[in-house]
Amino acid sequence: MLEIKDLHVKIEGREILKGIDLSVGKGEVHAVMGPNGSGKSTLASVLAGREGYEAISGLVTYQGADLLAMAPDIRAREGVFMAFQYPVEIPGVTNMYFMREALNAVRKHRGEEELSAGEFLKIVRKKIDPLEMDQSMLKRAVNEGFSGGEKKRNEIFQMSVLEPTLAILDETDSGLDIDALKIVAAGINSLRSENRSFVVVTHYQRLLNYIVPDYVHVLANGKIVKSGGKSLALELEEKGYGWVEETVANPQPVGV
Amino acid sequence: MVAVVEDLNARLRGFEALRERAACEPEWLQRKRRLAMDRFFSLGIPTIKNEEYKYTNLSDLSEVEFFDAPPVADMSLAAYRGLGGLTLRFDSGLLAATDGAMPDGVTVGSIAERLRSDPDGLATRLGNCAVFEDHAPAAHNTAGFEDGAVIEVSPDAVVEEPIHLVFAAASAVSNARVLIVAGRNSQVRVIESYIGAGRYWTNAVTEVYAGENAVVDHYRAQLESIEAFHTGCFQAVQERSSKVSTFSLSFGAAVARNDINTRLNGEGCECALDGLYAVKGGQHVDHHTAIDHVMPNCSSHQLYKGVLDDRATGVFNGKIFVRRNAQKTDAIQNNKNLLLSDKADINTKPQLEIDANDVRCTHGATIGQLDETALFYMQSRGIAIERARNLLTCAFAMDALERIRIEPLRAHFEDLLLRTFADKTEDRREVM
Repeated sequence: MLEIKDLHVKIEGREILKGIDLSVGKGEVHAVMGPNGSGKSTLASVLAGREGYEAISGLVTYQGADLLAMAPDIRAREGVFMAFQYPVEIPGVTNMYFMREALNAVRKHRGEEELSAGEFLKIVRKKIDPLEMDQSMLKRAVNEGFSGGEKKRNEIFQMSVLEPTLAILDETDSGLDIDALKIVAAGINSLRSENRSFVVVTHYQRLLNYIVPDYVHVLANGKIVKSGGKSLALELEEKGYGWVEETVANPQPVGV
Repeated sequence: MVAVVEDLNARLRGFEALRERAACEPEWLQRKRRLAMDRFFSLGIPTIKNEEYKYTNLSDLSEVEFFDAPPVADMSLAAYRGLGGLTLRFDSGLLAATDGAMPDGVTVGSIAERLRSDPDGLATRLGNCAVFEDHAPAAHNTAGFEDGAVIEVSPDAVVEEPIHLVFAAASAVSNARVLIVAGRNSQVRVIESYIGAGRYWTNAVTEVYAGENAVVDHYRAQLESIEAFHTGCFQAVQERSSKVSTFSLSFGAAVARNDINTRLNGEGCECALDGLYAVKGGQHVDHHTAIDHVMPNCSSHQLYKGVLDDRATGVFNGKIFVRRNAQKTDAIQNNKNLLLSDKADINTKPQLEIDANDVRCTHGATIGQLDETALFYMQSRGIAIERARNLLTCAFAMDALERIRIEPLRAHFEDLLLRTFADKTEDRREVM
């Protein structure tokens, strides 16, 4: 599904990612954890195609194709979705219009018929209820005046409408209270399937109580310094990121 | 200057023929025309030395080659699907066709016809509202208009159906003239559309009298050819508790100058002056508004939004006068601009003169670019960059478009806005 090989990324001339290797198989859920400034969000952004992130070397292959060579909208149409850490407000564009435009762009790319407003509404109604969102939010401008929790739920709602093949969740849990976290996690879990892979970027282990990952990777100083099963997250929670940083300071062979 | 004006006059011809034609007009109008003509000759075409025209150069009007018979205008540009009501088409300012039934409570017709059948009927109205002492284009129009539309709404009449006036340019110079007289407690909706093809000059003057408690909802769609010159002057006088709203849409013309003025002559008046301009290439658009708060307890709202691309330039100048007697005035002015290219340029200037001491006057002007993070967000959901730019541009204009209370008009303008910038992506990449 996704193969990252020796990826180095610069922002404004500073190298943030210093050789990332990551392999995500079909249907797998990978958690990427790490302290502030370790490069977690950079990794998510470069996969989504945000401007200003320069891949200076390395390779990212998505379903056999060179992901970095694709424009952000093409990546999305090919099934890559990023849930933003800070979802963007778009005054003047309603959620409904925005999502129909997006879904139709994706459908057109797949060679499917575009949906009318009525057909779209039917799909959307089914997707919105499990997230405990009010239908009226469809008529509101995208994320405008939404609370932090509403914004994050809106990201998950968009994901459920677009049905991506690879979902990258960038700190979707930060800033959420426990109730909102449970709703968001349930939304994500309901989308888990054997054909859909997830990269869950998070600072806290808490989210992983609800979304149980197949693999956990620890990112520090632009490199994956530790990989393991879900127990690694618990170990991190117990020992703190200091433990990982020590490991980096005293390099030992890292078993994947 | 005299040479320039004479040269202009020679090439625009008209005035001599006009004198002959005017000979059979009522005396009051002949007098007014003479005054206007003298005024036009002494003012001349404004140059940028004139503070009011600092950023809008009309001197080209005396230098450009106008073509006598422009190709026929594309009427579909001003065909608002589902509009209904009554439509009058004017070719070069002369009534050419009428379509639809005359609504109850209103008479709509030709000014020339009215002057023939009832020579003194318009004596206290026509040319009394649109002052030309300091306004050369209005002086030119007053001296030279041959026909136009007169709309008289009977007291207490509520005219729901819109009255649509289409002014198509069919000669080098057209003086378009509109007079709206709304009686006491009446209500009316008027749309003016300006279209044409090729290089020409349309010089329009609209006068509005809103009687006590009258409501006038007015729209002006400037959809001239991209090579044309357009000068438009809107002047309203409002009596007690009346409400006038005028929306200026300015998409066309190489150079467009819109003067929009209203005088709040009675207590409790409301006015809403709104507009949307969208220009690209080398187009220039100028809105000058002036609201005269003469009496207490009146409110004025202004929202003008502009989208400028390529090397296009724009001007917004908003004057608000609050006279000593005009206590409890509530005046809000907003001008917001979106620049789609580094080379586009806007000059925006509020001008408030307040002589009363218990008023609320606010003004704001902004100039911005498309939000890059919003563009990326949209792209990350599969929306192509060109489409994302378009959607954001439309979203920017949305609150101005929402001021349009006639749905077919709003939809038409939204569509036009989308089309205006739809094919611009390649050019924009070059500019950036």
